[in-house]
Amino acid sequence: MLSRVASSLYWLSRYVERSDGMLRMLKINYASSQDTIQEFTWKPVIRIFSSDDEKELLNIQHDSRAVIEYLLLNRENPNSILNIVTLARENARSVQEHIPKDLWQCLNEYYHTVKDEKLLWYVQKDDPITALDILIKQVMLYNGTADSVMERGESRSFMNIGKHLERSIQSIDILDIKFSSISSNPDLLTDISYWKHLLLSIGGYELYLKTYRQGFDAKNIIELAMLNNDFPRSALYAMGNIERYFNRLKSESNIEHYNNLSFKIGRLKSMITYSSVNKMNEAELHSYLTEIRSELYGIGNLLNEYYFANS
Amino acid sequence: MIDNFIKNYLNHPKTYDEMFLNGDNYRNHYTNFINNFSKESLENLNKKEELAKKLFMSQGITFTVYDSGEGIEKIFPFDIIPRIITSTEWLFIEKGIKQRLKALNLFLKDVYSNQFIIKDQIVPIDVIYSCPHFLREMHNVNVPHDIYIHIAGIDLIRDHDGTFYVLEDNLRTPSGVSYMLENREITKRLFPDLIPQCGVRSVTEYPALLYKNLMSLSPRAVSNPTIVLLSPGMYNSAYYEHTTLARLMGVELVEGRDLVVKDQKVFMKTTTGLQQVDVIYRRVDDDYLDPLVFNPNSVLGVAGLMGAYRKGNVAIVNAVGNGVADDKAVYTYVPDMIRYYLNEEPILKNVPTYQLSNRDELEHVFANINTMVIKKTNGSGGYGMLMGHAASEQETEAYKIEILKDPRNFIAQPTISLSSAPCFINGKLAPRRIDLRPFALNGPDGVSIVPGGLTRVALKEGSLVVNSSQGGGSKDTWVLTS
Repeated sequence: MLSRVASSLYWLSRYVERSDGMLRMLKINYASSQDTIQEFTWKPVIRIFSSDDEKELLNIQHDSRAVIEYLLLNRENPNSILNIVTLARENARSVQEHIPKDLWQCLNEYYHTVKDEKLLWYVQKDDPITALDILIKQVMLYNGTADSVMERGESRSFMNIGKHLERSIQSIDILDIKFSSISSNPDLLTDISYWKHLLLSIGGYELYLKTYRQGFDAKNIIELAMLNNDFPRSALYAMGNIERYFNRLKSESNIEHYNNLSFKIGRLKSMITYSSVNKMNEAELHSYLTEIRSELYGIGNLLNEYYFANS
Repeated sequence: MIDNFIKNYLNHPKTYDEMFLNGDNYRNHYTNFINNFSKESLENLNKKEELAKKLFMSQGITFTVYDSGEGIEKIFPFDIIPRIITSTEWLFIEKGIKQRLKALNLFLKDVYSNQFIIKDQIVPIDVIYSCPHFLREMHNVNVPHDIYIHIAGIDLIRDHDGTFYVLEDNLRTPSGVSYMLENREITKRLFPDLIPQCGVRSVTEYPALLYKNLMSLSPRAVSNPTIVLLSPGMYNSAYYEHTTLARLMGVELVEGRDLVVKDQKVFMKTTTGLQQVDVIYRRVDDDYLDPLVFNPNSVLGVAGLMGAYRKGNVAIVNAVGNGVADDKAVYTYVPDMIRYYLNEEPILKNVPTYQLSNRDELEHVFANINTMVIKKTNGSGGYGMLMGHAASEQETEAYKIEILKDPRNFIAQPTISLSSAPCFINGKLAPRRIDLRPFALNGPDGVSIVPGGLTRVALKEGSLVVNSSQGGGSKDTWVLTS
């Protein structure tokens, strides 16, 4: 496969996954903003999805509609859903003959849906959740189509590696930011809606209730988000998938490169599997998450060096 | 309802209309279509038009216009009423194009080797050597099976009496074939069952035919040669076509940056390393193919590609240097080429053409400029033309000055009243001018032409220019079985 094509497939998949995570985050946060007597702050969301130094953004942190509009539709914001989906589509457009026609049409429609002026109206004047739901449905269509029509080959491996890498980075970012707010505000430890909200943000609320019967406990939440192999957004599950799809590239790889990267992936997986996250304090947790994040970035960089930059 | 449509249809005076004879009498071969079409209500037709637009948009059959930093997706306008060609007309066209291609291919072989046609004074030497697309780099290069023109999109038009004329021979990188295929797909959705009922010949085998021809060109004797389609990239207006053809043939779509030349062989950069390329179907112009030989600023091409080509290590489709055969000044000599190489009378006529480098012809053209169309010999896409009957005096005078600077760059043709066909415009049937571009494929087994082509429509009322860059659209083109 062409290096350029592999890179585009990987990135298109990362962008779609990122947009999915963002949309769900926005939806949960908007719902909580409607369910609180205190002034709701979007600060953690802004910190995850845009660069920290945007002071003017923090001026609108209490204005839900303005934040959603900025993160969803702002053209100047390089990480807005609009721009991310445009990038996903541009990547798909340049590799159209490598993905099934149905999948290309899904992405194309996703793009045209994001550009539909109706969305802005929902965000500004009507129910913003309608806008988010319209888009979330597009991602579901994409994922379902990818799953049912994609050939089980090299293309899909690169796409799935991208997807799970993006997903694990997002879960870790959310955990890190949410737990660091606790260290500055210990009252949150006993705030049920805070925990519920965190679990909803990573899509694990229902599974948590089924798994742990004794109410909300920080240690259980970390265990779920990091180590539960049945939870499709846990770090361990994502690593398992990265490893699995990377292994499938073996026959198509330069063997030395393959071994190097395989070692790195295996090591990170062990680091997650055999960690004792549920015994860590906040500071330890933070440095642990930081290390995992940098290892994940490292894997991305090696993919780039070994597979995408071949020339 | 629909009867009103037909009654109110006004033929252009002195114009051959493809559907209507006069008043409300239509040509026989449209009977089947009209019987079905007349059952549709206006509302239904409007819905069909909407559906067509939606289908083009959702499938991404679009080109992007960049305006103030933001990409706007446009569709190539499509008219829902098909253009129908009888089997007799098609047989004639097919025969004519095959003959013409055979002669043009022999001409290219000749002009890049022995140049008998110049020595025998059929084509003047200065016409050839002054052509910017005549490439000395191609002299004595052996191309596989002596085929230079693998893909041709010869443009045909019809005059007021219905006679077919060749307007242009597009022998370099003719585009539009994906619209031939997509228009048919859309018609299937718009008019269910109609295509089998009317006995319309299928166009779907085009990609398979092209693929077979490309396979046969591989310089390496391997069972599975690597074929690539070289595109300038996704910002090119024909990018949709490049991806469609690559997908339909199952070949790799590459850009210049994906290829590299080593030891006079071409390779593509893959995740496992370098993989040798055997056949390149390029959609990049000659000028941009190889910065070492042609335009040194080109980033669309591959450094060293011409070296590999001359060495015979890679096949390039269409051959490099074909521009000398579809140059508008050389065009005048095509009927002579047919007589010279094939000893046959040309089947398809040329439009009478005046060479402005010839003093007498220049004077004649200037005296009758209102009835002339003047074109640049190396122009395309409908740019830089002067339509004598529509131009203002100022425009005409300014154009004359341009011509006198370098008359070799211009030719003139009498304005031809292109044939018209009914289009569905704003809820009415209205006549619009059309042309026809059939796509011919030339391989070791001979020339084959998929029955159909691209019918381009000048959508502006009264306009005679069908190019998409000048507000043109297209129609599905039906060739009937009998």
